[in-house]
Amino acid sequence: MLTFILRRLASLPLVMLALTLLIVGLLQFLSPRERAASFIKSENQMRNIDLIIKENGLDQPFYVQYWKWLGNATQGNFGFSKASSLPVLDTIIQRFPATLELAIFASLFIIPIAVWLGTLSALGKDKFLDQMLRVISVIGYSLPVFVVGILLLVVFYGALGVLPGFGRTDTVLAITDPVPVVTGMITIDSILAGKWNVLINALQHMILPVMTLSIIQVASTLKVMRNQLLDVLKADYVRTARAKGLSDNMVNIKHARRNAILPIVTLAGFTIQGLLSGAVITETIFSYPGIGSWGATAAVQLDYAGVMGFALFIGVIVVISNLVIDILYSFFDPRVRFD
Amino acid sequence: MKKKAMYTTLAVGFGTMLAFAAVPNNTLVSMVIGDITTLDPSQAYDTASGEGIENMYETLLGYEGRNLTNLKPSLATAWKFSSDGKTLTFTLRKNVKFHSGAVMTCTDAEYSFERHLITHDTEAYPYISDTLLGFPYWEDEQKKSVTWAQINKTAECNAAGQLVLTLPKKDPTALAKLSYIAMSIVEKKYTVGLGEWSGGEADWKNWVGKDMANSALSQKPNGTGAYRFVSRNATQQVFKHFPDYWDGAAKIENVIIQKVDELATRVLALNKGDTDIASVINRANLGQVAGQPGVKVLDDLPSSASEMYFMNQNIKEPKELGSGKFDGKGIPANFFSDINVRKAFASAFDANVIISKIFLGKGEVRTMAMPSTYLGYDKTVPVYSYDPEKATTFMKRAFGGQVWANGFTVNIYFNTGNTRRQTIAELFKANIEKLNSKFRVNVVGIAFSELLSKADQGKLSSLVGSWAADYPDSDNFLRAFYHSEGGAFKGRLSYIDPAMDKLIDQAKSTDTVAARVTLYKAIGRRAYDQVPGVLMPAQVGFLTYRDNVKGLAENWSPLASGSFGTLWKNLSK
Repeated sequence: MLTFILRRLASLPLVMLALTLLIVGLLQFLSPRERAASFIKSENQMRNIDLIIKENGLDQPFYVQYWKWLGNATQGNFGFSKASSLPVLDTIIQRFPATLELAIFASLFIIPIAVWLGTLSALGKDKFLDQMLRVISVIGYSLPVFVVGILLLVVFYGALGVLPGFGRTDTVLAITDPVPVVTGMITIDSILAGKWNVLINALQHMILPVMTLSIIQVASTLKVMRNQLLDVLKADYVRTARAKGLSDNMVNIKHARRNAILPIVTLAGFTIQGLLSGAVITETIFSYPGIGSWGATAAVQLDYAGVMGFALFIGVIVVISNLVIDILYSFFDPRVRFD
Repeated sequence: MKKKAMYTTLAVGFGTMLAFAAVPNNTLVSMVIGDITTLDPSQAYDTASGEGIENMYETLLGYEGRNLTNLKPSLATAWKFSSDGKTLTFTLRKNVKFHSGAVMTCTDAEYSFERHLITHDTEAYPYISDTLLGFPYWEDEQKKSVTWAQINKTAECNAAGQLVLTLPKKDPTALAKLSYIAMSIVEKKYTVGLGEWSGGEADWKNWVGKDMANSALSQKPNGTGAYRFVSRNATQQVFKHFPDYWDGAAKIENVIIQKVDELATRVLALNKGDTDIASVINRANLGQVAGQPGVKVLDDLPSSASEMYFMNQNIKEPKELGSGKFDGKGIPANFFSDINVRKAFASAFDANVIISKIFLGKGEVRTMAMPSTYLGYDKTVPVYSYDPEKATTFMKRAFGGQVWANGFTVNIYFNTGNTRRQTIAELFKANIEKLNSKFRVNVVGIAFSELLSKADQGKLSSLVGSWAADYPDSDNFLRAFYHSEGGAFKGRLSYIDPAMDKLIDQAKSTDTVAARVTLYKAIGRRAYDQVPGVLMPAQVGFLTYRDNVKGLAENWSPLASGSFGTLWKNLSK
């Protein structure tokens, strides 16, 4: 197991190298003048474009630019993000906890709800509930994230007024109850500071973003769960279990569902990736100060250092999450060995 | 049963917390879309950064409300030009405190000016350096030739504790430039203590043209303004009023600037009273907030930009010319050098269509290439109105009749994504092609940076573009548009008119306001006669805010960077 983990971790720098080379290569399709756009704040400033290109080395061959970036990156300097007006590393440190917090809360709902609904759907195959869940599932994963987000915002914040619509807490709490940043996760920091009103307020602010992130993921995962469980229910060992006189509940839950859940574990890896990409839109709609909204701004502003840093970080997350899923897989299925 | 009771209690508890507080009366909340670049005044050159800076820091002088012709004292109580116009002496206000508690002295003002001159880079405001040192940005040549003695001489304190600025040449626009936030006064001791430039010769070269956007001062601001910095994170800036402010503590205690990218979120928050002001941007969306209970609209705000259809009289890109001759498939490089062509295009443009369709009826036809609030703006200068018959007559006269007989194909460029400019270009296309079936206009959208750089190199035949105010002086606009040497748009127009250059230079070197007004009016009339470009109508702006915010309409200023259109100290609830 240890060898497997080390081998996977050793491949990380190679993946990162390939990823950053790909981004640098793609950015070369933009002219130096286009890439200099991130340094321009007003049309009047365009007169200095040549000077800006020269100062930032944007006219140098791509391998020179890449080598320079790589040299700095290996020393922990990933450049200065124009989109956040902060060094890239500081931006990630400042913003990632907010995204992680959202992803954790979303994950808490996605898998259990999807497994539960998928099970209900499979066990009641072709009955009313199954039909309903299938329709809801199709609608759920057909909707783009921004449509779901805006709909939830308009209904629950705008029309009903029962949930907050933006930020991590009410705006005025920044003045009345500032919470010292320890972990960057507002729920944990508010507990550490003993500010329960901030904790409850932060949880309320998380409901709509978490719902936005979860709905699409739940919809697709429950469909997989349903189909998987239906296959397993036809398996010989399930029939044998029933023949032995075990109760339906015992057979369905202990025998069938446990085996049907294995692909869901694999899917969890994709869920994490889905949450990260969903965060780009969700955080923008709900003005959530996470890494996703920074990535979106960096891309729009052609913030070279920002885009590179964002992609690199997401790449690390994806590789590590895949590794964790592989390890988890072995716990669910003891037949799986990595040696 | 017990479980049920617990869940019910939790749900009720959670539900009761859902009574969202409206913004309290001692707090202002603004929802904006811009990312701030810096909180270092010396480096600021964008409106998003400007909002916090203009409320935390102060310049020597400024303007009152909508008036852009009369300066008012701020940190300077009086100022005087020497008889040769090359020395400017400021008497500084007494007993002004920085947020650190220190009292402002002339040394702080001297340090602030020199710090800006030394550190301002290509992304910062260039005009002070242009006036005080004679060059806008540090290039290799200046880095080698400029000495510490030159820098040191530019801003000095005299025995009476007055600040004395020495200009290389007379510049009546200097005072207007000094009102910009980049010339805010910072505290020398505090800033040096943060590890920045020492204020002396020893290390000045290390700071030349340095990118200071994330400077130590940007992270820990300290000005003399009515508000002091509290905190800043990815989407929020928090400020608190400064009790020791020299003009008395501001009425509103707290200000929060919240970045919210999504329009729907901003609109809903404004309607629900979760923010005091929100950027709605397009007039087409105004209906979503106007008329909502508690929401007020401040309309008819004059634009501080000027837009033009540029016609290049010397196109320097062969590919742009097509066949390069009058055969219906192209144009010669000097196509727009014939005044009849330019007048024909001007007569083929219908400003009223833009005002009614794009600006939804809220627009202003400009007679001159600058905001109507600026010195010397003359409403009596004639304008070209839509007249297809006149346009036809001009086209028939152009190039001895070749244009009419053989036709042409010309490109009009706009920056992709700018739908207003695209519509303007398409309107030109429709109206010009209607004149003669041999006339062809291609509407071409390209990336903004590419468009601007090509235009500046004279490589585009025509385009729609604009200029926004850098400082409230007519020279900032008229020089940019029309001067053949110093004009920012010389590449776009290739308009060489010594008589126009002379008028612009005279206006800049004349002290008396009346004489400048006369010269600017003359420039307006000459621009009408020569028609180097077609003036576009100006969009009238608006602000949407909660009706319990007072003081906004009375104090609105076109120069304010902030979302409220005025300094926060002018507001109350």
